[in-house]
Amino acid sequence: MIKFTVWFLLIVVTIASPFFGAVELNLNDVLDSTNLAHKIFFEIRLPRVVFAFFAGVVLSLGGLLFQTLFRNALMTPYTLGVSSGAVLGAGIAIKLGLGGLFLGLSAITVFGFAGAIFTVFLLFYLAYFLKGMGENALLLLGIALSLFYTSALMIVFYMGDAMQNDILIRFTMGSLSVISWQNPIMLGVVATILSCVIYLYRFELQLFSISNEHAILKGVDVKKLTLLLLGVTSFGVGTLVSISGPIGFIGLIIPHIVSKLYTQSINKLIVKTAIFGGMFLVGCDTISRVLNTQSELPIGIITSLIGAPFFIYLIISEKK
Amino acid sequence: MIELKNISCFYGKNTVLENINLKIPNHLTILGVNGSGKSTLAKTICDLIDYDGEIFMDEVNLKKLSLKQKAKNISYIPTKLEVYDRFISVDEFVLLGRFSHKESFFSYTKQDEKIRDESIKLLNITHLKNHTLNSLSSGEQQLALIASALSQQSRTIIFDEPTANLDPKNSKIIANHIKELKQNHNIILITHDLHLAQYIDNEIAFIQDKRLLHFQNDFFKESNLFRLYGVKFDGVEPQYD
Repeated sequence: MIKFTVWFLLIVVTIASPFFGAVELNLNDVLDSTNLAHKIFFEIRLPRVVFAFFAGVVLSLGGLLFQTLFRNALMTPYTLGVSSGAVLGAGIAIKLGLGGLFLGLSAITVFGFAGAIFTVFLLFYLAYFLKGMGENALLLLGIALSLFYTSALMIVFYMGDAMQNDILIRFTMGSLSVISWQNPIMLGVVATILSCVIYLYRFELQLFSISNEHAILKGVDVKKLTLLLLGVTSFGVGTLVSISGPIGFIGLIIPHIVSKLYTQSINKLIVKTAIFGGMFLVGCDTISRVLNTQSELPIGIITSLIGAPFFIYLIISEKK
Repeated sequence: MIELKNISCFYGKNTVLENINLKIPNHLTILGVNGSGKSTLAKTICDLIDYDGEIFMDEVNLKKLSLKQKAKNISYIPTKLEVYDRFISVDEFVLLGRFSHKESFFSYTKQDEKIRDESIKLLNITHLKNHTLNSLSSGEQQLALIASALSQQSRTIIFDEPTANLDPKNSKIIANHIKELKQNHNIILITHDLHLAQYIDNEIAFIQDKRLLHFQNDFFKESNLFRLYGVKFDGVEPQYD
């Protein structure tokens, strides 16, 4: 029953989402191609909803994958410092006053992506020294890296002028507002590739979710596959974060919510987690647009405000 | 036949095994005091830890086989199973034993499911099929692990202290199964349980000072046990006072 209610709500909100925002649109105006509503709907609202959906897919699958690969409920691209790396990269671009475009992408995006990917390689390199120290060591490493990045970002703030700092603060809060279809389509391609790769390796992941040793014993090339899956996921998360800024909580919480709702093994949760995460973020974004505030509330605030209580409810209502 | 040539293992600077040479014809029981390297030896054969030297299986160097090919030949049953996934059922778990036989990227076939069902039935755990792995007792977990090894259809099965966590009744059940499996599989048994070792009746290798001592039938003599373990024995029963 709770499953049905949750999915029903998510689907309704997702369908209704592009009609709501600073201006409410109705269906007749939207279908009339001479009306302004038509333009708003197809050039502003719909790209944003699509972008939010794929962002949710990438974040929740990224979380599911990191949690499974490292068998740690706290492991996400966010906790490992990948997002902080992207923010620092973007911060440097803003500080240097690079407003121009590279290959149609803004300098902030390019630098943010570089920051995320650099962090992943740094983690790979450092993880080499952690051999035999277990997954918690990597988590600590990621947290240390995040703190280091945050301090480095403080220096960027300290040196920046008021206007640069304003752009930077906006970026660190995370935002799903996109203009035109370019970013939604790009993210859509990335999210589709990520989903397909993870789905193809669903049985390998099921073995991972028992234990590392068990996966090797049953014939999984653990080292190679870990590298491949982390690479693809980091690429997806890097792309997203460099456009939207960091959006916390989704990656951590959605995989847990879906697994608590379904109590199934991981190979059956991949598609559900992706769709649930996508629609959940669309829902949160809708709320941030509808709330009558001076400007849009940063999306991270909404995701935590809705996600955390629901998560707590699921934990305490769990029956043995 | 498995053959180990000049196997050495290290944990950091500690040498755990040194220049082990061993031919395992059919079945073998490996004994030794705590920390002597019994499990290390088993894990070496399964490629779970790095080693110097070479291991051959039917004249083929194990390092030349892929992990899937290795899984088709050898399965390993740990003392205790650690499971991160809280929701995986016995059914799904035993099916994972078919992983090395499955086409990459595709689902398990009807044939795989049939083999799984047979393994589960053989171990008499059909009633546990839909239980989650985490909810099983230690004895039931051992049975699920054996079922998974059976569905893997590997010739060699390595048991790493199978009875270490079990009560007498479950120990008996597991012991009976291991003895039965000797008919169609090569069994390598690692244990401290001398009753079990005596019952399974394999050739015996005892690890002492990083090296192997071989025994046929003379192992269970009280004088021999006293020499190896440093405790007085009454039969195979160590004397506590």
